[in-house]
Amino acid sequence: MTQAFVSVRSVSKTYRSDCATIGALREVSLEVEKGEFVRLSGPSGSGKTTLLNLIAGLDRPDQGEVFVAGIDVARLSGSRGSRYRAEQVGMVFQSYNLIPQLTALENVLLPMIALGRTNRDRAREVLDLVGLADRSNHNPSQLSGGEQQRVAIARALANDPALVLADEPTGNLDEQSAELVMGLLTSAVRERGRTLLLVTHERETAQTADKCLELRGGVAISVPEMSSSDGLRSSR
Amino acid sequence: MIWVKLTFGGFGRRFVEALAAAIVLAATSATVAASLMVVEGARNTLMRAIHRDRPDVVEVKSRFNRALFETPRSGNLPPLTIPVYEPLIDPAELEAAAGDNQVVKRQSLFRNVVSGDSFLNIYIFGIDPDVERDLSSFSLARGRFLQKGDRAVTVLDQVSARAIGVDVGGSFPVRKADGTDLQLTVVGILDKLELRGAPPRTAEAPSLRPDSTFVSSGAFVNIQTSEDIFGRESLTDALVVARNASDVPDLVAKLQEAFRLEPGIFVTERYSQYQRKVRDFVLTMTLFSAVGIATLLLAGSFAANLLHDIYIERRRQYATLIALGFRPAMGIAPAVVFGLVLGFAAVAIGALAARAFVPRTFAMPSLMADLGPTEPTIDWVVACSLVAIAIVAMSAGVASTLVRLLREPVAASLSETGP
Repeated sequence: MTQAFVSVRSVSKTYRSDCATIGALREVSLEVEKGEFVRLSGPSGSGKTTLLNLIAGLDRPDQGEVFVAGIDVARLSGSRGSRYRAEQVGMVFQSYNLIPQLTALENVLLPMIALGRTNRDRAREVLDLVGLADRSNHNPSQLSGGEQQRVAIARALANDPALVLADEPTGNLDEQSAELVMGLLTSAVRERGRTLLLVTHERETAQTADKCLELRGGVAISVPEMSSSDGLRSSR
Repeated sequence: MIWVKLTFGGFGRRFVEALAAAIVLAATSATVAASLMVVEGARNTLMRAIHRDRPDVVEVKSRFNRALFETPRSGNLPPLTIPVYEPLIDPAELEAAAGDNQVVKRQSLFRNVVSGDSFLNIYIFGIDPDVERDLSSFSLARGRFLQKGDRAVTVLDQVSARAIGVDVGGSFPVRKADGTDLQLTVVGILDKLELRGAPPRTAEAPSLRPDSTFVSSGAFVNIQTSEDIFGRESLTDALVVARNASDVPDLVAKLQEAFRLEPGIFVTERYSQYQRKVRDFVLTMTLFSAVGIATLLLAGSFAANLLHDIYIERRRQYATLIALGFRPAMGIAPAVVFGLVLGFAAVAIGALAARAFVPRTFAMPSLMADLGPTEPTIDWVVACSLVAIAIVAMSAGVASTLVRLLREPVAASLSETGP
């Protein structure tokens, strides 16, 4: 039996603070094939971002396993984890997380610098892809929210990663910008045959997603009817 | 260019905060540096005092009997046969009183030496050359210095040699106590000399400074030779070197007890004066250390707080870089470099300001009457302290960020909205 491109197996994650223990994920399993577009939804605090962070190797599960392209992400050391993210993963955040003192072009160059393969032509190419070739020398503060998120998408695609993780990329945008950003993101990923895990509340994306998963209270509780796959499982 | 921007950020609010932190840190460094420079200067003064005054040395001198010593300053009179010191120091009694402390024996004599058609006053010092060289300084112009076992040889300073008209290999006669002459052969000419614990000198002699605490002119012979000239083993003066400076009070008490029936023998020490200098130094150090520490705590905490605010933003930058695939060391490097550059630049500016504006000599008469004026000094102790300030300030600023990065996953910092 071949392993799925993204394989999350019985993953649990609990956050402990001084006054409380919060179960972010409880035995969540998920399998995503290469080139699939998976929509993750659920109320705030349901564990969507945690799941993406675990897949990106930015956090470690308390139990369970996370494999991406055959790599045991949960057991990667700091530098191997960095290499994995630089080569395999592109991340898009709700709050953009652009470096404010860098221009749009320099922000797009960052993942390439991490890999040691700085290529300005490639950076301009992906900026052109998101329609911001003429804004490459602008700082994030000189760009609108939608434009900043487009720069973030260009940055996520800079190293042509196999997996794109997008965490509510339209959460801070108006309707028109959100539509533009979402269209850019899904089309750019699909055109390249890349895998996309998209956390969103927007119902429209369910129409285009290959799979839909809803997280509630840290548990995957449903497989929406729009999903064409049975690749999502829950312990319940 | 990207790394420069990642390291130093832009020119926004954080830049102003960084500038403010640098200015505060520079002012702190300047104050601390100035304080440390004064303390170092005072320490150097104290070290010089230890070297020059030798608080561990006790002087034992017999009173010079002027009534018997009057001598012609000029004219054509026969040389006197013997200078008279009354009373004289019994070496056995001195050694018994000194115990296991080192006794440096001396005989200081005065002679009229025939020079051409006139007489020349000259002091002759009988010394133990091996022991004396540890206490006094002799710099040879030519020839050699005295050696143990030398007999009837002398070294003398250049001015005295010129006055007598002798050079290395030459000789001159000195009248002995028995009335015969002893021919002293010159084996060395001294360039500079400082004989510690100067015996009394009242008569004029070539290049002699009567008020100096050091003898800077005269003819030096082995003590055995001076005993031949003097005709006795009694000492005119001596030094006793205590094993430790702190032993001096007890040693002085023993010597005074030993010579209590000899009112003409005086025991003097510099340990008490040295102790007053130590007290002044401690007072100076306490005062300026308190100023330095208070400044460091107040201004340093302010600067560290500003750095902390800057690092909160850096935390988000660090997390973003990690999420984009930067290695942890590469991610944290800009923040560390930023902190170190900021700290070292501020400290360098502060040190230069302190160096430029601190007075060349500094004295607080009411506090440092005994220690005297000091020269504020910037040396490696001050430099290391300032470097430590830069590192501590940077560490204090980065500490909370570091703790948070260690305790929480990087992902948590990505969701932060700011300080």
